[in-house]
Amino acid sequence: MISRRVFAGLLGSIALLPGLAVAQDMPAPFDAPAEVEIALVRYLSTGDFFQAYLSGVEQQAAALGVTLRVFDSRQDAALQADMVDQAIALGVDGIIVQHGLTESMQEAVQRAVDAGIKVVAFDVNVENPAVPQIEQSDRDLARLALEQAIVDNGEAWTAGYVYVPGIAPLDRRDETWRDFKGRYPGINEVAMFGTLDNPIANAVANQARSVVSANPTITVMFAPYDEFAKGVMIAVNEAGMGTDVSIYSADVSTADIAMMREPDSPWKATAATNPAVVGEVSVRALAMLLAGEEPGAQVIVPPTLITQAMLNELDISNMEELGAKLPAFVHADVAMPAWMPLPRR
Amino acid sequence: MTARRLSLVDLAIRYGFLLLMAGLIVYFSIVAPAFLSPQSAVFVFQSVAITGILALGVTATLVVGGFDLSIGAVATSALMLSAYVMVIWEMSAGVAVALCLLMGATVGLLNGILIVKLRVPDLLATLGMMFLLVGLQRIPTEGNSISTGMALPGGGAAQGTFSPAFLMLGRHRLDFFVENLVPLSVVFLLAIAVVVWLFLEFTRHGRLMYAIGSNAQAAGLAGVNVNRYKIVAYMISGTLASFGGILLAARLGRGDVASGNNLLLDSVAAALIGYAVLGASKPNAFGTAVGAVFVGILLQGLTMLNAPYYTQDFVKGAVLVVALVFTFALSGRNGRGRV
Amino acid sequence: MADQSIRITGLTKAFGRNQVLRGVDLAIPAGQVTVLMGANGAGKSTLVKILCGVHGADAGRVTLGDVPFAPVSPAAALRAGVVTVHQNINDGVVPDLDVASNLMLDELAEGGRTFINRRALRARAREIAAAVGLDLDVTRPLAGIALAERQLVSIARAMSHRPRLLILDEPTSSLSTAETDRLFALIERLRDEGVAILYISHRMSDIRRLADRIVSMRDGAISGVFDAAPLDYSGAVRAMLGHEITEVDVTIPAPGAPVLAMQGVVLRQGARRFDLTCHENEVIAITGLVGAGKSALAAALFGLGAAVEGQVSLDGRRHAPKGPADAIAAGVFLAAKDRLINAVIADFDISRNLTLPFLRRHAGPLHWVRRGSELARTRAMIAMMGVVCQSPRDGILTLSGGNQQKVMVARWMAEDCRLLILDEPFQGVDIQARRDIGRRIRDSAARRATIVLCAEIDEALEVADRIVVMSEHSIVGSHRNENINVAAIMAEVVEAPHHARLGAEGNPTA
Repeated sequence: MISRRVFAGLLGSIALLPGLAVAQDMPAPFDAPAEVEIALVRYLSTGDFFQAYLSGVEQQAAALGVTLRVFDSRQDAALQADMVDQAIALGVDGIIVQHGLTESMQEAVQRAVDAGIKVVAFDVNVENPAVPQIEQSDRDLARLALEQAIVDNGEAWTAGYVYVPGIAPLDRRDETWRDFKGRYPGINEVAMFGTLDNPIANAVANQARSVVSANPTITVMFAPYDEFAKGVMIAVNEAGMGTDVSIYSADVSTADIAMMREPDSPWKATAATNPAVVGEVSVRALAMLLAGEEPGAQVIVPPTLITQAMLNELDISNMEELGAKLPAFVHADVAMPAWMPLPRR
Repeated sequence: MTARRLSLVDLAIRYGFLLLMAGLIVYFSIVAPAFLSPQSAVFVFQSVAITGILALGVTATLVVGGFDLSIGAVATSALMLSAYVMVIWEMSAGVAVALCLLMGATVGLLNGILIVKLRVPDLLATLGMMFLLVGLQRIPTEGNSISTGMALPGGGAAQGTFSPAFLMLGRHRLDFFVENLVPLSVVFLLAIAVVVWLFLEFTRHGRLMYAIGSNAQAAGLAGVNVNRYKIVAYMISGTLASFGGILLAARLGRGDVASGNNLLLDSVAAALIGYAVLGASKPNAFGTAVGAVFVGILLQGLTMLNAPYYTQDFVKGAVLVVALVFTFALSGRNGRGRV
Repeated sequence: MADQSIRITGLTKAFGRNQVLRGVDLAIPAGQVTVLMGANGAGKSTLVKILCGVHGADAGRVTLGDVPFAPVSPAAALRAGVVTVHQNINDGVVPDLDVASNLMLDELAEGGRTFINRRALRARAREIAAAVGLDLDVTRPLAGIALAERQLVSIARAMSHRPRLLILDEPTSSLSTAETDRLFALIERLRDEGVAILYISHRMSDIRRLADRIVSMRDGAISGVFDAAPLDYSGAVRAMLGHEITEVDVTIPAPGAPVLAMQGVVLRQGARRFDLTCHENEVIAITGLVGAGKSALAAALFGLGAAVEGQVSLDGRRHAPKGPADAIAAGVFLAAKDRLINAVIADFDISRNLTLPFLRRHAGPLHWVRRGSELARTRAMIAMMGVVCQSPRDGILTLSGGNQQKVMVARWMAEDCRLLILDEPFQGVDIQARRDIGRRIRDSAARRATIVLCAEIDEALEVADRIVVMSEHSIVGSHRNENINVAAIMAEVVEAPHHARLGAEGNPTA
């Protein structure tokens, strides 16, 4: 979690970054930021990632001085669309759509755009040219993790793969996985499994136990979502195969760091975008739109590779230290016009 | 059943489910040779240990003609609570376990009071409790999962850790012919199943609980304290659910935010499948345990055959439907109207 | 008009290996009341269930006029003009709906328009109610009206179908005399309109009043048809039982010390004060209309309710139980009426049903139930009560109604008590079972006081040393059962200034 304290602690590095602006220097409408109201309309909200994303949004909004309203549809697609309409009715200036279904959001977003409201979308394609897409690059996430797997294990290994189709970010990560299998014919995928049954780590652990006992030759598990990786690691350890199997994943949290750093942990590397940074970038892109600037049709937040070796070397034990010791992780230099203020206290 | 000569239908009702299970084991061990090993067998039990324990709790409420929808949420609340106690308050494993069990019993007591004294229908009362707990467990951490090193809302980082003694509950393995074979959680499942079975089938209290489930009015007129037994049933359910949550926390090693709905559904499925075992046509602990293991065998086998998760849900559903047909249609008894 | 009568030929039905109907041949002529008598387990209920479409027959045929009749469902039977009023009131009504919807239930279920015109529905419902002389607000929820009125609602609903065959299965068991008169008037009117009526009852008074002919049933077949006037009632009973039934001769023993003493008791606000003393070795029958306060009295003694005022003592000590458990501990047992609602644990076998209140006596360390002890006690009680069964492990519902009732009575005789209250112990049992139960009550009465609550005076005469009459929640008469003047008792039963509030008491705990 990127807390306020991180930023307090990081004042030095932030000073090097562009534009610690004050309101008077900001373009309209941010010369009177209290008048500006933006809405965050969420589809997913449960879990560390979404919590951290929200904190990023909140902090960047606070840095800009704008008012933020949060609408939480809790995985109800129809409700999410209604909430966009609600935001329109409230007369907000900008909307961030966070996740959702293309089918349900497309028309609602169009209504918002028609009402003159600026909209950005995170991780949902609303098929609207006026709406910039904020993306954590899932392809890059998968690529970074898999490249590390090649570095560690060579070009030929037997793999287990955790995947649940139909979830957009997982589908994008899956594309990269398929590219890699094409590029390295030595990769032999013998098992594919996965579930989103709650608690996910427990359910995946049950499946992974069966998979590793049925396929003892697996040496690499590609689990491109940290809950999957956690489940696989529990199962591999329970099966006493902790030293035979290596796990590569995506996303990171304090708990993940602790698991990666356990002695003989099979979890070798993960690639992650800081969700709080994604939240900040979402707000910044929206602010650019409101100020009449163009953030670009796609705003991609680059991921960072985090390896077990790196964590051990730098003695990183939680997200704060990760931010402190891997500065690339706390700030992404995207959607950064000169006037943009950054969060700080 | 007074018949000395069992007809084919009677035999099917009685032993059909166990035969089906034996058939599955044979099938899976042919198509997936790794299936038939001691490790694999133990793993089946391990994978259903938590849902099995929850299912035994819900069986107690089914016996008195009730239902507990809050067990999944109680389990995940215990998961969060144990993590909170150890990681944030930095207290010992013993305190964590004690507080969790106390929490589970208290939730059961509240459920019981809502249902018995305040006359809220059981499904509604426990549904309300479920939502309440799903929300409540997130309030102290503002929706975050709990793990060592997490930033605290008040500033600072959590310094506590899951104590090794606590983690043992979910991870320690006992030697049983093969070294490090049987996880403690499996031992707990078996022990709790045996205790609940003995309690319900052979003690006075179990008998009276069945009487209440069959005809509460008649039981009351026979001098049974119906309200007290109902409350006790919910307390058993809550306590066992919180124990399931403790095992879950010990396996995961962190306080994961989760609704526990899948835990609820899987345990209810196990308890309902249990109606069909040995043609009991009523909630029973032995059937519940067999039902849980049955689901475990199916899922283990299917996963070994690389079946995707949705076919597993489908198969689970199919098993449940077949079990209910066994219970309600074939046995020709109306069973009990509810559920 | 074509011949409207119903002919049943060679009807058989088996459940599993249990042959319930063994070839029933029966004609139910139009415009007559045919009373069907049979001991519990003779197959009456099964016959009715086949006629009203709940079960299908294995063999045989039924014709309605000249048309074959084999309903596949209760709705089909209804369409064909066969209307049934069931013994269990709640089978016929939906407590959560209002009276109007209940009266119109079949028409609502038949289909038609999706949206209901409330006003039209109520108007039609009022017509139906008026046709049977039922005067009440049709917008009231059914749950809020008295048991007897519910019964009339269910009968009114049946009548609205212009039945060709009307089957009434013990319809008067929860009706007062006045309600019964109203029902009988209706039945007679329908008979005169040419409806065939099949009337099932154990009550001789009903049978004497209504029967044009009597059909006796025994062991799944017709054992006698009596249609020559004057009807041979004792012949019908003989045909039903397969043997002669002897008159009960009550010898009144000398009563012992007083056990229960009630002084200045007021059962509910506005009721008259009364005293009652019951002695050891004495069997008192309390009779009165439905709602006369019999069950309220039992409830007060068993801790299910409390008297407004008065002193109650048991063996000289104050008796004010807080609940059944308390009452049982004090030695006051109550065998409740309506066994299927208040007594039978359907999922249990005979032994588990029998030992329910006294399970502690059969439990060892750790509250472990000693099955052997339980089965031994059950076998003893089965022998003592003459319960017909194969084993103490038989499911309770495999027994006939009379045998179930014996088990429920035996449940409370299995342990010694100071005061045994039996609320309608002869409810829904045939005359043989009634005699059996009555004899066991008397035989075991020596070391306790016994109170039997029964609405039927015939039953009271068979079992009691003393008959106490209740009306308006108070005691209005007491008669030693010797050269008794039944007319005087009848007069006391109905003499109440205002008619008793019908069915107000319902179930003891309801």
